[in-house]
Amino acid sequence: MTDIVTTSLLLAAVPILGAVLGFIVWSQPDKLKIWSVIVTVLSLLAVIGISGRLTETIEGPFFLYLLPLAAGISLLGGPVHQQHRLSWILTLQFLGLGLGILTSQQVVSQITVVVLLGLITFLLYWHHNPFWPRSWWGIGTYALGALCAGLAVIADPPVSSLASLVACAILLPLVPFHDGYVTALTRLPGSLPSFIVLLLPAIGLHSLAGVILTAPEIAISTVTVLALVGALYGSIKALAQSRVRLLLAYGSLSFFSILWWFAALSRTIVPQAVVFLSAVAFVTSGLLLAWQVVRTRYGDDVDPRAISGLVRRMPRFAVLFSLLALAAMGLPPFGVFAGFIGMLLTASLTSSVALLIMVIAWLAASWYILDMVQRLVFGRERSDLRYEDLRRSELASLLIVVLIVIALGVAPSSLFGITQQPPSAGAVKESVSWNR
Amino acid sequence: MPVGFCAFLRSCDERQEVPVSAVILVPLLPLLAALIVLVGNEGSQHQRVKIAAYPIGAAFLGAIATLWLVATQGPITIRFYDPASLAMLAFPMGFYIDRLSAVMMVLISGVGTVIYTYSIGYMYQDPHDRRYLALIGFTTFVLLCMVSSANLMMLFLFWQVLSYMLYFLAHNHAHAATLEGAYRTFTLLRVGDVAFLSGIVLAHQLYGTLEFHALFSKATESPITLSPWPGIEIGGATAVTLLLFIGAMSKSAQFPIHLWLPRSLYAPTPVHALLHAGIINAGGFLINRLAPLYGLSSTTLHVAFVVGTATAVLGATTMLAQNDIKKTLGFSTIGQMGYMIMECGLGAFSLAVFHLIAHGLFKGTVFLNCGNVIHKARQEPAFPHVDSHAEEQEFSRLTWFTGFTTTLLIPLLILLVTHGVLHIPLLESQGTVIFLFFIWVTSSQAILTLIRLRAVASWKVSAAMLLILLFVVFNYLFAVESFTAFLYPNPAEVAFYFQAAALPNWLFDCLIGGTALVIILGWFYIYAQSHGQFMWVPSWVEGLRLRLYVLFMNRLYADECYQALGRAVMRVVHRVDKREAGSSE
Repeated sequence: MTDIVTTSLLLAAVPILGAVLGFIVWSQPDKLKIWSVIVTVLSLLAVIGISGRLTETIEGPFFLYLLPLAAGISLLGGPVHQQHRLSWILTLQFLGLGLGILTSQQVVSQITVVVLLGLITFLLYWHHNPFWPRSWWGIGTYALGALCAGLAVIADPPVSSLASLVACAILLPLVPFHDGYVTALTRLPGSLPSFIVLLLPAIGLHSLAGVILTAPEIAISTVTVLALVGALYGSIKALAQSRVRLLLAYGSLSFFSILWWFAALSRTIVPQAVVFLSAVAFVTSGLLLAWQVVRTRYGDDVDPRAISGLVRRMPRFAVLFSLLALAAMGLPPFGVFAGFIGMLLTASLTSSVALLIMVIAWLAASWYILDMVQRLVFGRERSDLRYEDLRRSELASLLIVVLIVIALGVAPSSLFGITQQPPSAGAVKESVSWNR
Repeated sequence: MPVGFCAFLRSCDERQEVPVSAVILVPLLPLLAALIVLVGNEGSQHQRVKIAAYPIGAAFLGAIATLWLVATQGPITIRFYDPASLAMLAFPMGFYIDRLSAVMMVLISGVGTVIYTYSIGYMYQDPHDRRYLALIGFTTFVLLCMVSSANLMMLFLFWQVLSYMLYFLAHNHAHAATLEGAYRTFTLLRVGDVAFLSGIVLAHQLYGTLEFHALFSKATESPITLSPWPGIEIGGATAVTLLLFIGAMSKSAQFPIHLWLPRSLYAPTPVHALLHAGIINAGGFLINRLAPLYGLSSTTLHVAFVVGTATAVLGATTMLAQNDIKKTLGFSTIGQMGYMIMECGLGAFSLAVFHLIAHGLFKGTVFLNCGNVIHKARQEPAFPHVDSHAEEQEFSRLTWFTGFTTTLLIPLLILLVTHGVLHIPLLESQGTVIFLFFIWVTSSQAILTLIRLRAVASWKVSAAMLLILLFVVFNYLFAVESFTAFLYPNPAEVAFYFQAAALPNWLFDCLIGGTALVIILGWFYIYAQSHGQFMWVPSWVEGLRLRLYVLFMNRLYADECYQALGRAVMRVVHRVDKREAGSSE
């Protein structure tokens, strides 16, 4: 017990202490950025060093490796600007909290989730814009999430179980609790959106692995319906978006709903689900970083419809962006496809309609993602635009994302230390019901 | 189910397969060629492009060696995974090369070699030459991996990559119409991919495996009935094969998922040669690879027959009304692919493979040449028009008599004798009648084309007609039969497929009679026109003919229908989106 607490504290302390020390170089943004990246590397080394002493979970130390990587990539890919300093410090803070949540015991973990969601709620309120009234829904959703996480600690079952499930639905977005996720991805500044796109769903899945076994049957049935609605809703909303960050938020919501459906169906978290979540999160993170590259060059308010023809003058950007888009569309050999097909083949499907909805959501990704790529990368080259290809740090961050997503696709999940959880007693074990 | 076919499936499971790891070099060599083209500076590009031709050529030689090895020693299996835990693996890489795979490998690598070598000169100094030449190498690699896949999952992986390759091959960065066409190509192909994926998932759910032989054995041994919706029952094999067939329809441009092919005609002509000679055969290959599974579902085979027939008729008719050389060839390909799928639907799987090989070689040659024709036409506005008075079009009794005898009397006599008059027992499977009928249709088409081109009085033309008939008869009776025996050495298997695809006798007779009537009427029409005789046609028929011409010239307004459908979907999407006010970045 003491060993686990020490380990958890140590892992959380490295980035949090790093964030505090970062204030020493606060007035020098370039040094602060370098320092922040170094802290994420140290965190990763710390995880590698003590991963053997961690408690056994479904995802093993997998998310612990990925979180520092995601934080490092988010920090590396962003531009050096004094307005982004706070987001770098907060990225490190969030990394510390995330590592703490994933490694600590139930009560401490839930309290840390309350702190994390409370911080994000405050940040969303801080960055609230009156021209975007829906952000109130996002603020409210995260406040509800913090409340539910707190309730899960103090209440008895089945209230605690339901509260935990709602908190999971806010962390790993599920309709109708998705507004917080969409608001966070579109409103938070600097490197935060590209980091929390992995952080929150990873914490959500980690919590869900325990909750899904004890949740009441009626709650699981509701989750199944919400997941199906969410998969379609996310796809439809993504198809309607012309703004890149909204498109990515709704697209990933659709994919996370697919994960929810499989989890509810099998009442367990299979290794393929962990791969799927990681791949979707990394791909979305990579695409957000790529969009940040465009914003750095053409302004924060740039309309993607005004940019085209990047392929000729920004070939490195075009290649990496296209590869990430391929992954986001669910094509092989990337992790999204591997996770999706793995879940499909391991689940006991009971409804042909549900399968149809899942594959439609998968198909729709090809339409809205390709449309985005086509508009940005191809088309007529504009003579009035100044084109500048990827800088070294941007190239490195996008390249790492691509390599991670390929690794998730081609390497067997056992290689990452993800273990197969035995299905629960209530899980659907029989063959397809429409099979006689 | 015949005992012979079950014994054949068992023998497939028990067969000792030859492990020859060197054959994996065959698909890898074109990948190496693509990398040689891609990696390096601008200065050495032309040299690298020339060097890259050698690995592709070596892949062709390797494919021939593989074919010989497979033909003499049996199938080759190489697996880098444990078949028992396929679902746990992200990427089950493995190769299974039997005679079908080896034949396809020879075709793909052969066509790839010719096209690449031709393209070196054709694409010289083109701003996109590096991309296109690398793509040719990469596409050849993907196709070779696809046809030599060890399991359905690997086949699907490369199937999807091929969809994306087509998107890249079909587009030009800065040309708006090309980009739009490429986008539609990809989105339509993805519809087929989704059906294919559903078929794979269903097959795994029902039979617990995606390994070819295990899948066939389990589907044969344990027939399953599904009830996807209350009151609807469908066989497990039928459901799986129908879903996979939709996947095949998309790649082989079958009606109504054919629109991507005419839309992708902006690419350089060598790329088209590869598309029409190699990529489009994917659907035919898929059906042949899964022939034992398709043989278990008469319903799917009949659906394939209807879809193939409709595509053949619509494709060929639309081709006749086009005024653009590439569109004409594109619709010709659609028609030919329909013909090939129709052959599959009739259970003549080996005939379909023979057809796609022949068509691939023919269409590849035509496309490689059509680029030159277009260039020449641009330089010389008169080309390729020929003065209408250059050749005297006069009626020749000798020519017409020979044509009439060779295309109508002799084949019809053979057909009637075998099918109806003498009651020869070969009618049991309809298979031989199908072969004979194809002989007649093919020779008639060839001779009619010859007559249309050169209706001159000459004994040479008459001799050419007789030679055509002999060639076609030889082709079908000897070459196709030999090819069938090579591809499917077990006659019970061939008979089983024909039996599974057998149509009701009355329908079969009606189809044979109806097609024969159309060909005979066609002959009379041409005969009368060549005499300058007046043929009375009802005015409504004449009006209908004109309307149909406009309809087919506009490609059945299918593009417009898809656009309207897309607009309707987007209207719904935006209506849903607008319900949530205040969303903006």
